[in-house]
Amino acid sequence: MMMTEEMHPAIEQVLVNIEKVMIGKRQVAELSIVALLADGHVLLEDVPGVGKTMMVRALAKSIGANFRRIQFTPDLLPSDVTGVSIYNPKEMEFQFRPGPIMGNIILADEINRTSPKTQSALLEGMEESSVTIDGVTHMLGKPFFVMATQNPIEYEGTYPLPEAQLDRFLLKMKMGYPSAKDEIEVLNRVQKQAPIETIDSVIDLEELRKLQEEIKEVYVDDSIKRYIVDLADSTRTHGSVYLGVSPRGSIALMKAAQAYAFIYNRDYVLPDDVQHLASAVFVHRIILKSEAKFEGITAENVVERILARTPVPVQKAVK
Amino acid sequence: MTNPNGYNRLSTLVLYVFGFFLLWEWIRPVEQLTDTSNAWVFILFLVMALMLDFFSIHWIVRFVLNSGFILLTLYFLYYSETYGPFQSFSIMIEEFFYNFSVMIQRVWPELTDMFRSFLFFILLWLMTYLIQYWLINRRQIFLFFLMTLIYITVLDTYTPYAADGAIVRTVISGFAVMGMLAFYRQLEKEGIKKGKSFTRKWMLPLTAFIIASAGIGFVAPKADPLWPDPVPYFTSFNERSGVNDKSGIRKIGYGEDDSSLGGPFLPDNQVVMQAEMEHRHYWKVETKDIYTGKGWISTPDDEESIPFGVGDSVPIESFVDNENIETTEHMSTVRVFMDYPHIVYPLGVNRVEGDSQFSFELNPVLERIQKFQGGNKVFLPEYEVYYDRPRYSVTALSAANNEEHGLDKEFYDRYTQLPDDLPQRVRDLAAEIVEGSDSWFDQIREIERYFSNQGYIYDQVNVAIPAEDDDYVDQFLFETQRGYCDNFSTSMIVLARSAGIPTRWVKGYTEGERIEGNSTYEVTNNNAHSWVEAYFPEVGWVSFEPTRGFTNSVQYNFDLASDDDNQTQEQTPTEPKKPELEDPSNTSAKGNEFTLEKVWNQAKEIASKYWKVSLGVLLIIIVLIALLYYKRGKWLPYVYVVWYKRSNDDKQFVKAYLTLLEELDRYGLPRGEGQTLREYAKVIDHTFSTRDMSRLTAKYEQYLYRGSLEKGTWSDMRKLWENLIKSTIA
Repeated sequence: MMMTEEMHPAIEQVLVNIEKVMIGKRQVAELSIVALLADGHVLLEDVPGVGKTMMVRALAKSIGANFRRIQFTPDLLPSDVTGVSIYNPKEMEFQFRPGPIMGNIILADEINRTSPKTQSALLEGMEESSVTIDGVTHMLGKPFFVMATQNPIEYEGTYPLPEAQLDRFLLKMKMGYPSAKDEIEVLNRVQKQAPIETIDSVIDLEELRKLQEEIKEVYVDDSIKRYIVDLADSTRTHGSVYLGVSPRGSIALMKAAQAYAFIYNRDYVLPDDVQHLASAVFVHRIILKSEAKFEGITAENVVERILARTPVPVQKAVK
Repeated sequence: MTNPNGYNRLSTLVLYVFGFFLLWEWIRPVEQLTDTSNAWVFILFLVMALMLDFFSIHWIVRFVLNSGFILLTLYFLYYSETYGPFQSFSIMIEEFFYNFSVMIQRVWPELTDMFRSFLFFILLWLMTYLIQYWLINRRQIFLFFLMTLIYITVLDTYTPYAADGAIVRTVISGFAVMGMLAFYRQLEKEGIKKGKSFTRKWMLPLTAFIIASAGIGFVAPKADPLWPDPVPYFTSFNERSGVNDKSGIRKIGYGEDDSSLGGPFLPDNQVVMQAEMEHRHYWKVETKDIYTGKGWISTPDDEESIPFGVGDSVPIESFVDNENIETTEHMSTVRVFMDYPHIVYPLGVNRVEGDSQFSFELNPVLERIQKFQGGNKVFLPEYEVYYDRPRYSVTALSAANNEEHGLDKEFYDRYTQLPDDLPQRVRDLAAEIVEGSDSWFDQIREIERYFSNQGYIYDQVNVAIPAEDDDYVDQFLFETQRGYCDNFSTSMIVLARSAGIPTRWVKGYTEGERIEGNSTYEVTNNNAHSWVEAYFPEVGWVSFEPTRGFTNSVQYNFDLASDDDNQTQEQTPTEPKKPELEDPSNTSAKGNEFTLEKVWNQAKEIASKYWKVSLGVLLIIIVLIALLYYKRGKWLPYVYVVWYKRSNDDKQFVKAYLTLLEELDRYGLPRGEGQTLREYAKVIDHTFSTRDMSRLTAKYEQYLYRGSLEKGTWSDMRKLWENLIKSTIA
């Protein structure tokens, strides 16, 4: 629906790059960029093999960022994520060996398979953009973007992320299988050479940081803020919801909407932006009542209904 | 500023205020209809209790404040004049204990006034909790509202309370509260988050409705009542008043047959008459002279009735005309509510003024005056009685005693008659009472005081009927020692006659309850009474009041009396403190109503003159308006086009866009609440196969969500807008 609008040229380039690798997943790519620009993190929930890693790698390569991947296993230790100090007998002192978290773009694969201790090492880094090891604080890279994946199928031996931790992800999305046509195209492309090797970076990290700063200047009218708050508040009073969206959720929705408006080359936020992102921002922050779950209601349904019911501001609020 | 119940403070306050008004309507009549005075303290208490509720003060603080208020009020109302605060406290505690024991014994009439007030406070306190519960928790007040209406209408129908204003006030408060509560119930039910404008949308029409309905109800001419006044019906149903049927319980009231006294009485509030009096006095109807041992009869009627006319002097000799009595003439006006063949008059009556078509007849034995018109006993609604108000010289009264009274033997025997089988102990008692007093006056005063000195009890219910071989007086004096006026008066006469003092039994009414200012009294059947008149030679008849709790105003002149008589002070009874009652018909409101009614009448006059023409015109106008409204899609867009053409101001764009939205909605393309303008614009463009709406919307979005409008937007966009709004004419 937004196709009629022109995109920000640099972002358009990044998207084209990703699309070379990921066929028919523009929506997901767009949301990932929104999270990256809004300085947030993404939780991907999907089965293996749909191209999660590929997409993150393409994104990292397009912005010339340092890509790291952590495969979470039950025996992974916090120091395996953050890094460790090792005694160097030659120089007679401890030397810090940075862990995989010291990159710019991190793929935290199957985050729910590791122990809560290790999970929280990562999540703490996400929150504070720094880690402290042996009393020394190490700043993380900037931009710092974590894309965590969760496998929804396996439940044996997993540690589901608690609600408080889920709140730290700006967006949660699903990849989904490609359509038949797209999948044939995928097969065609990988026949000769992995397409990931063919793409080049289109912007560098410095430019990206500048874009991140610009996004903060995107204008959000009071009526839009009110709309966001109304939406969040509606989740709190909704009959099927046990725990609604926190103010952190409202902040997340506003920031994401700013980023989304920005990639469509607008310096102000529309209710359309808010509506487009509401589901991705809100769904993982809502806890349903168990009776609602029995009735087959999902958090997506709830957000949909709230969006349909909450009046969109079409006039200036009388102050 | 919303409390957990979802009200904001202001609306809660408004609810409390109206709740208070409803409660107030319950207290208003109390002051007028019962002998409650100082009703304002109860109202003050209500205000305080509701305010404490409103501010959700901690319950302990509330409890302390409320009970403190109650105790202080009770102290100031009942004790502060007599006792100091600390003494009062212990007396109050004692009184509480006494009342609790009375309550346990269920002797309700014995409760003291202080305790009644206390109970009333507690009741009001409970009511404030109920009000709070109904308003805030249940959000339903209809039942209470209905009860209030019933209460007021019943009072209006059956009591003197005029509820004209009360009905208006109650309806307004009740509608307001119910309307507001309905609003909050809806909000709660639908889970709607309310905004200020939403509240306004509800409250303004609500206010308008209330004002309109109350205003129309107030101004509109009132139809006559559909049903006849039910009160006379019930009255006729209860005609047994005062009639002594043998079934036992009687209703209090005036009856003629007194030959067997005794037995309980039911109170009866039927109004007999109203009287305007310059001085308080009892009303006589008749006197009886023969005591039978069971009751009173009169000497066989062998004398002719004496006729006299309106304005003629009444042939009753009450006083001896000499310097022993100073008399001043006064006048009382009687308005009759309940028709009896006789008229009432005070002691010392001179003449009766009224409709000159009437004539009267005096039964000289009973001293009963009957009224006639052309030979028939008829209703005389109002008459004035002129009478001499006596002031007795105590010296003259004290002159008479058993040895020297100089009375005619026949006269003396007639008024000292006693039945032969009167028990000896009655005579002995009389001798015992008067022992030590020489003159009749001192003796009869001793007898009069005897009943209260000995603690005889006034009671209307637990009163015995003498058995076949019992004497009525003997039974009262020595066995039951409780009874009503008949017991006291008859016993006093029997005692006085035993002591040799000529006395007679007088029946009639007390002066009644004071209403409407200072000089008007209302006499009900409850005020039917009997008392004693004693004859003193060279003086005349003097009233005495033996019944406990009653006072008759008799004036004595002490100028010649010796010092030891100073106990017989002038008996001006202490007036019971009665609250000044407000005139129930508010005069200013009346004047207001009058002018409104005049306007209404004028309008009616004009309407009735030209009603055919005006009705036709009105109909045509209504049809035209309806047609125009129904077909507005055909012409309204042109109006808008012209309207918005008048200026190039970009602000017009905003208004024009919103008008366009409304017109599209009317056209049948409503925008869903959650639909953004952009999506909506696509739908519109799809319908009309244009791109105009999206272009307009993009501009409007910039204005609305970016807060800026490019200069000249309106002149650029007007063409698109006109195209769109004209497309709605299809």
